[in-house]
Amino acid sequence: MANERLRALEEVEKEVGVVLQCAGNVLLELSKDKHNASFLDRQLAQFLSSVNRIESELSGQIRYLTQVATGQPHEGSTYSARKDCQMALNRAEYAKVKLGPPPGRPTS
Amino acid sequence: MTTPRALPQSKETLLQNYNKRLKDDVRSIVDNFSEIIKTAKIEDETQVSRATQGEQDHYEMHVRAANIVRAGESLMKLVSDLKQFLILNDFPSVNDAITLQNQQLRSLQDECDKKLTSLRDEIAVDLYELEEEYYSSSYSLSDTTDLPLCEAYRRRDSWASPGTGPGSAQGDGDEHDGPPSHETKPQHHLNGHGTTPIEKP
Repeated sequence: MANERLRALEEVEKEVGVVLQCAGNVLLELSKDKHNASFLDRQLAQFLSSVNRIESELSGQIRYLTQVATGQPHEGSTYSARKDCQMALNRAEYAKVKLGPPPGRPTS
Repeated sequence: MTTPRALPQSKETLLQNYNKRLKDDVRSIVDNFSEIIKTAKIEDETQVSRATQGEQDHYEMHVRAANIVRAGESLMKLVSDLKQFLILNDFPSVNDAITLQNQQLRSLQDECDKKLTSLRDEIAVDLYELEEEYYSSSYSLSDTTDLPLCEAYRRRDSWASPGTGPGSAQGDGDEHDGPPSHETKPQHHLNGHGTTPIEKP
């Protein structure tokens, strides 16, 4: 489904945010007098893994697109089904109008 | 699906451009980050004084940090472009989406029509009974030209069976004239535009 690929790209966007956040945390920690070494290691590991994940995911998507894309525009549409459905709903609405309001309903 | 495909020039260059942007941005982020970390190392005084070196390092770190942010922004733009390209050019998923949407719309239409048909059938049954009741009561005796639906069906059934008795030639003439004219009148009733006023109690 198309939604899977788009969802994967949304995840990549979040990963970019994580990368920048980790870089900022590392530099913030380094600016202090006393550094927390384990925190630095964790943030650095997360930074590197996120960067790798971004690169692999995006190059995978680009590779898929080189295989799948043609130069032609897609000419499919849902217009006919949508029109038929709209006409059916119009028929129902017309029947409702013709039958009139049900009796005994209090008018507000 | 690894057969080489002759993509049009524009699409191929576009995808190569995407690849290049991806590589450049990722390399920019990693290089600038590592350079900032290297610059943060405290070194002995060299040719310039400590203050000047501090100023220079500060400015360099500022620029590298700005480069990291710019590369991040560029990656976001690349993701947005890829999403757009995917929506426009990924034919298998576009076909799936169109098929699914068509199915949903058709099922909605079928359900709507089925409900309308069942409503019509129920109303027809009730209307038949109501007309039978009304036209067999005393209210409809004033107008003898209009026939109720049930009466028209009964007469048509009797015409369908071979006619007995005298005057068969005339009866044939009547036969041809009878059913069509009587068939139109019940339709007149069903549409609710009959000339006889329906008296409500």
